Amino acid sequence: MSALWALALAPLPLAGAVLLKRAWDSPSPRRPWLILGGWSLLVLAIGASVPLMGAARGPAAVLAVGSLAALVLVAIGVERRNARKKAARELAPEPSDRRRVAWRGWLRGFLAGPLAGVAALGCGLAVAICAPGQIQSRMVIGGLIVPFLWAGGMAWTLSDDKILRAFAVLASVATLTLGAAFLKGAL
Amino acid sequence: MDASPDKLAPTKAKATGKPIWPRIPADFVRAMLAGHSALGLAFAALIYLVCFSGSVAVFTQEFARWEQPAGPVLHAASPQAVNAAVQAAVAKNPKAHDLLVRLPEPDHPRLTVQSEDVSGRERTYVADQAGRLVGEARTPWTEFQAELHTVLHLPSTWGRFVVGLTGVALLSSLVSGVLSHPRVFKDAFAFRWGGSKRLQEADLHNRISVWGLPFHLVVSLTGAFLGLTTIIVGVLALATFKGDTTKAYALFSGPVVRDDPRPAKVMDVAAALTAVTARHPDARPTYLYVQHPGERGQHVNVNLVTENRLSRGETIVVDGGGKILGAVGYEGDSLGFRVLSAMTPLHFGWFGGWPVKVAYFLLGLGLTAVTASGVAIWLARRRDKGRPAPRWERLWVAFAWSQPLAYAFSALVGLLSPTPAPVAAWGLATLAACASAVVGTPAGISKALRRITAGLLALIALAHGALQARAMVDAIGWGVDAALLAIALLLTLTTLPRGSRPVR
Repeated sequence: MSALWALALAPLPLAGAVLLKRAWDSPSPRRPWLILGGWSLLVLAIGASVPLMGAARGPAAVLAVGSLAALVLVAIGVERRNARKKAARELAPEPSDRRRVAWRGWLRGFLAGPLAGVAALGCGLAVAICAPGQIQSRMVIGGLIVPFLWAGGMAWTLSDDKILRAFAVLASVATLTLGAAFLKGAL
Repeated sequence: MDASPDKLAPTKAKATGKPIWPRIPADFVRAMLAGHSALGLAFAALIYLVCFSGSVAVFTQEFARWEQPAGPVLHAASPQAVNAAVQAAVAKNPKAHDLLVRLPEPDHPRLTVQSEDVSGRERTYVADQAGRLVGEARTPWTEFQAELHTVLHLPSTWGRFVVGLTGVALLSSLVSGVLSHPRVFKDAFAFRWGGSKRLQEADLHNRISVWGLPFHLVVSLTGAFLGLTTIIVGVLALATFKGDTTKAYALFSGPVVRDDPRPAKVMDVAAALTAVTARHPDARPTYLYVQHPGERGQHVNVNLVTENRLSRGETIVVDGGGKILGAVGYEGDSLGFRVLSAMTPLHFGWFGGWPVKVAYFLLGLGLTAVTASGVAIWLARRRDKGRPAPRWERLWVAFAWSQPLAYAFSALVGLLSPTPAPVAAWGLATLAACASAVVGTPAGISKALRRITAGLLALIALAHGALQARAMVDAIGWGVDAALLAIALLLTLTTLPRGSRPVR
């Protein structure tokens, strides 16, 4: 039964999204209140889900169902355009044009993949081995930050034009963290 | 995400007022976009495959029931029935190393025992209300689709690593996408369809990305973690246990029962189950893992799920004599255990009943669409700049629509063939669909593949209904057939010529 609470609470984030859309649609003196009301309803839905569905389960369920409800609202508001009409002037930023040099491409791939991965793994290991707290918690938290840091490192190295700087930072982080972890060597 | 490729009409731009977020330097945005594009293109096919297969995998339990709707459908099983099922399974293979007993649950109203037979082959027996083994579970397509998502049908360790790496790439794309989208809130509701292909794909890409962001972050992070566990634990073990990973895993296995292979009477699982449920009256047992049955070192792990917890459940270890040795601690005070126990349900959407499952399925398909549109934006940008890549345009459309088709084809083969090989069927169908890129236009390929998929889905539903009509004890069988027909209808509708519509 408690699973249905997610459905029962769905109108709250939906109403919140409706208020935010109204604020987005037109400027008016009410705009700040609409924004405040919209976000308040989203927060209220998450808050109400805690006693109804559990402290972690409720917010997770409301975020999933609420995201979907907001997307449905966005889809309903679709603006159809004439396919024959020319597009508006291009004003959006374009990806930066980099010189295509093979070795830079391979180095960038190496940085984003293996090296960022090793650096992230080193940070995770350092947390698991060197941080205070219960062993299992250190291991899980250390493990959880690996994909997060790897993803961050990947995003950074693929975007940064100064790849030697990225190389130096990642290599240093990997050496330091793995060195610390293997030197301590005990949980 | 792609930065919005056009400004809104002047009136709209005026309407939205001044942005509340600090202005992000254009060079930073351009650099982020370059990284986002490179990463997205490098991993597009893998991310697409993992997202699509993950969306389908949300309904793994339902598909298993649909494949075998004859039941017996049970809503509860007595400890005596469970014990009878265990004894019967051990009688079939007295040398079984372990048994996995799944108890009836709302998502899985069956009593099943999974074990290896005398030839070492893994089998799953289905039991009735009294615990008699009345048949064998045959769910080849369900297993196929689950393994495609978790290991891509590669050797387990490699498969998990590749899926985990794909999760990292997806997570990285989310980070760079958010940073390269300075109008993230300003354009939050702008969804324009028609006109420039690039604008249309960018709006689809950005709107789903923004509103689905909490879901995207959760599934990519948990997926990457689950996929990379083996390598993380391996390196940890290398640093601390001289490479012995079992010592690392032992930290999460709870009370240890000493291995003693001397023969003994198979333990009374009913007594163990009764004792555990008496001690934890608020929890519901979901499965039992009987280890070394018929040995002195035999013991059983009983998994208990407590309502309102985002957790895979707590595991209680009971020895062969029926003595409760203690809990592993998944739902104890340890933050690490609690986070770990939340990973799988949070990743698959198995924590909030059918509303959350439906939301996960649709949001997962949304993420799949985000991946497809990301490549489409890149291709459209090339075309806009006078450097079209028509072959890639056709191939990407063919690949994107190959997956629904290949899934449907493999399900049909699984349903009709006495010796189904869904992996081969899926692979062949994927190749055939991708080969369609040789001819036609992207729009034509897309339409043709959608129509074939719709036809296959309708055929599956009709064939399943006809073949199982008399044995369809589990109503989910009809439910899935109806859903397949509805999806087939929706897909067909998307291929029909559009009538005159009001155009702004």
